Amino acid sequence: MNEALVIEAVELTKGYEEGRIAALTGMSLAVRPGEFVGIVGPSGCGKSTLLHLIAALDRPDSGLLRVAGHDLAHEPDLSHYRAQHIGIIFQLHNLLPSLTASENVQVPMFELGWRGRDRDARARELLGLVGLQGREAHRPTQLSGGERQRVAIGRALANDPRILLADEPTGSLDSQAGGMVLDLLERVRSERGTTLVLVTHDAGVAGRADRLVHMLDGRAIEEGPSLRSATLAIAG
Amino acid sequence: MSFATLVLRNLVRHRMRSVLTMVGIGVAITTVISLGAVTGGLKTSSQELAHIGGADFMVAQKGAADMTFSTLDGADLVVVRDVEGVERAWGGLLLVSRVGSNPFFFTWGMEPDALAGMKLELTSGRLPAGGDEILLGDAAARSLGIAPGDTIELEGHRFTVVGVHQASARLEASGGYAPLTAVQEAARKPDVLTAVHVVVVDGADVAIVKRDVENASTRFAAISTADDYAQIDQGLELLDAANLAISLLAIVIGAIGVMNTMIMSVFERTREIGVLRAVGWRGSRVVRLVMGESLALCLLGAVFGILLGVGATRLVTLVPAIGSVLAPTYPTSLFVRAVVIALGVALVGALYPAIRAVRLSPMEALRHE
Repeated sequence: MNEALVIEAVELTKGYEEGRIAALTGMSLAVRPGEFVGIVGPSGCGKSTLLHLIAALDRPDSGLLRVAGHDLAHEPDLSHYRAQHIGIIFQLHNLLPSLTASENVQVPMFELGWRGRDRDARARELLGLVGLQGREAHRPTQLSGGERQRVAIGRALANDPRILLADEPTGSLDSQAGGMVLDLLERVRSERGTTLVLVTHDAGVAGRADRLVHMLDGRAIEEGPSLRSATLAIAG
Repeated sequence: MSFATLVLRNLVRHRMRSVLTMVGIGVAITTVISLGAVTGGLKTSSQELAHIGGADFMVAQKGAADMTFSTLDGADLVVVRDVEGVERAWGGLLLVSRVGSNPFFFTWGMEPDALAGMKLELTSGRLPAGGDEILLGDAAARSLGIAPGDTIELEGHRFTVVGVHQASARLEASGGYAPLTAVQEAARKPDVLTAVHVVVVDGADVAIVKRDVENASTRFAAISTADDYAQIDQGLELLDAANLAISLLAIVIGAIGVMNTMIMSVFERTREIGVLRAVGWRGSRVVRLVMGESLALCLLGAVFGILLGVGATRLVTLVPAIGSVLAPTYPTSLFVRAVVIALGVALVGALYPAIRAVRLSPMEALRHE
């Protein structure tokens, strides 16, 4: 067990449909605090499953998964773990359509025991951070795709998470909106020291990570610095 | 945003479905309120019959299927009068007949001296002194448009109205008092009494005198409360049973409606529930969300049902035939019962949907299309 790691996965396996579908077949991963790790690989290689296990949306069948000091295979209260440590961004924004942008950002805060006034203030602050000041009262249908995803990022930051998990966050956006979302994620990560794990099959997106993990058939087959970080390292 | 706002937003999202569910609950509550008010009113009217003329209780024939079938006679009156603690007792024959549009015109036949002892509050005319004379209640005089000097017909017998009195009891106000022999003749029940009304001596325990009267004859049932009526009239008990059965049916239908709505709501929002779990919501909070929506629906339905129930019952009592015998009662307990039922329907209706919602794994829920 390495205390310096915020995410430590060792020989993780996960199957579905009584083991007929093997999503992870021995995946190992180590992520340091504040790192930006890109997980890449073809469809069905297990990227999203890995992300969902880290988010504690499911438990591994075997192997060790230790995140933010929690052994997720045996963690008794996964909801509490998610509420305290994890911010998650989906490919589709998954905003609640009946709520305004501000209200969507406030949703995770209910579990943190914050009072109404504090929730409002925090949501306003986060929407300002993602560049949506003045749009607090807009519903998802009144926002563009990029704006919706930025609200989703605001929501993911509501609990000031140690780890931000992003599953194809730009997958449903055009390149300009996708670029803005990535800029925002990078800024959040650098300003707050948040660990960012991003799943993508877009090489352009993956290139912005510090480190890339290539997956195939449920395991990591290659790991190394991204092209940009390698370039920066050489230039530096 | 408060948690309640979140609950209400979900209801507003499907306005029509929420309104229809609320109306369904409302109709169930309307049934509870209306039947409760009517049953309570009938019980009150019946109870008032036992206390006319300031009587402490009334003695009737035990086991009679209906109050009007109770058959006592002069000898029974003597037995009652001889019971210790009885200060005054008088017999009466109750004749229920159609008068004008009122099919339940209650005429008590009583001896003129008994009528004099009843301290009736006359608003015009005088008490019947004998023969075919009748004293009308104020509501009866008003609805029939009759004043002293006019006549009315009871079972083919013509009675002359000699006075009008003001009565607080509904059946008394919409009926009349006539001499006993004249009513016995009209009812073709010579020497028959329906009941004996009793005033106990000052300081006597009414319950003890009631018990002693019942011990004086196996045929006697002493009645002072609506519950005592079960001894002589199963009608009120049947009414209670029917009230309960209909209310239960309405509640079951209401609960099914709520369950249907909440199941649809949970099913449609499966993915959203997955998102809520993914951002850290515990299962208990999701349960609270589902339960909260159900409670809000049912409480709004209860308010609607109570207003509709009171309004509809009041409207029904505007019909003279109903209004003459029935003054609906709205005790606080009736409204409390309605709200408790609404809460029960909400909890029962939301139980399965809530369990379903909380049993969804976040992963499955997020995959739901």
